[in-house]
Amino acid sequence: MGFRQYRALVRKDLLSELRTRETVVAMFLFVVLAMVVFHYAFTATGGGALSFYTGGMLWVVFVFGALLGLNRSFAHEKDEGVLDGLLLCPVDRVTIFLAKMTGNLIFLGLIQVVAVPVFALFFAPHGMLAHLAALLVLIALADLGIAALGTLLATIAMQTRARDLLLPIVFLPLVIPLVIAAASATGALLSGGAGAPGVLGRLLFLLVYDGVFLVLAYGTYDVAIGE
Amino acid sequence: MTGAAQISAVGLGKAFGRREVLHDVSFTVRRGGFLALFGPNGAGKTTTLRLVATLLRPSSGSVTLAGRDPRDEPAAVRRAIGFLSHNPLLYRDLTAQENLRFYADMYGVAEPAARIDELLDRVELRHRRHDVVATLSRGMVQRLAIARALLHRPAVLLLDEPHAGLDAHAAALLDGLLAEIRDEHTFVMATHDVRRGLELADQVLVLDGGRVALQRDGRLEPGDLADVYPEHAGLGARA
Repeated sequence: MGFRQYRALVRKDLLSELRTRETVVAMFLFVVLAMVVFHYAFTATGGGALSFYTGGMLWVVFVFGALLGLNRSFAHEKDEGVLDGLLLCPVDRVTIFLAKMTGNLIFLGLIQVVAVPVFALFFAPHGMLAHLAALLVLIALADLGIAALGTLLATIAMQTRARDLLLPIVFLPLVIPLVIAAASATGALLSGGAGAPGVLGRLLFLLVYDGVFLVLAYGTYDVAIGE
Repeated sequence: MTGAAQISAVGLGKAFGRREVLHDVSFTVRRGGFLALFGPNGAGKTTTLRLVATLLRPSSGSVTLAGRDPRDEPAAVRRAIGFLSHNPLLYRDLTAQENLRFYADMYGVAEPAARIDELLDRVELRHRRHDVVATLSRGMVQRLAIARALLHRPAVLLLDEPHAGLDAHAAALLDGLLAEIRDEHTFVMATHDVRRGLELADQVLVLDGGRVALQRDGRLEPGDLADVYPEHAGLGARA
């Protein structure tokens, strides 16, 4: 029954989002607007050595964009008082985590489908397509880490009254290692290709990061989601 | 009245931090029985229901359903419970049918489409099945919540003020449905409506300040509650 429940939870979140468009539209607008602001801020003085900063810009935008979605992970359950209905179901709490994480991954992936071409247009006009496969692997690994950590923390933050404030405060310090690895790997990829020094090591770091927070969520989610 | 114990609570207690809201509450509900929970606001009725429903963990004591402890078999216990309160536990942006389909999948209901049709007919909402819940009236939402609670054919139905906020028609429909399914489930109902509760119940538990004030088996009359619950027994203000 686990997969049927997982599928039902993901479908429900997607259907709710499709009907309200509350989360993805806000994430999309934020990401595109941030890139436009960065574009004008960094090119106003001629844009010298811009490629040094592009990886960092991309991941700062993605992390803050993801934060908007993570904050809404349990919005329907909390605002409409449906969390009890979910907790009454004979469902393993880890299934709820996996389904919520999948929803967050899908929303983040959707905005990246638009944001990456915008990023290429503004900041990386040359050679990006040649390294697209490696960049997609990097994005997938980093997204998994953001979604795993973010979903776990969004669940804990949901139990508090100040959940909108609490989530960024606990999420951002913990996501810094991921941002450093993803930003430096992106910069190295765009300047030197998949074989550039340090890319593989950073991808392996992201893999370990993902594993740590997936295992942590598996072990603690029953407590995290509360009584 | 002679069935085996369906719900068994022993020495149940619950504290939130230092505040103890339920103290040493014990009761047994036989299979097919109907326990009415009475008591003033803050007496511990909802906490008791939430403990039985596994939505809260007891600070002391235990609850078992048909001998199953939720700490050991949470999924089996939850599958046996239907929960109906004044909060419908429905997603406002989904349609009536989508909500029921979601819960059918979560409970592993066999042949969900047929079961959903059957229940939508029973609560007279088939014509609104494709409408999102946000557009339904309060009475309709509560009828849909009844369908949600019955969807997986639970052995135990926990009702927390199920008539709250209903108009006369919706309340009558709920009464009719409860009478119809009275023999199919074991019930625990928390309510302030003493006459309605006593009509249905064959066991009564009155709580006050988180403690048992009265516990009786068998059919009771409102006057029987006069000593412990006079303001709601229709016998004047409490001394």
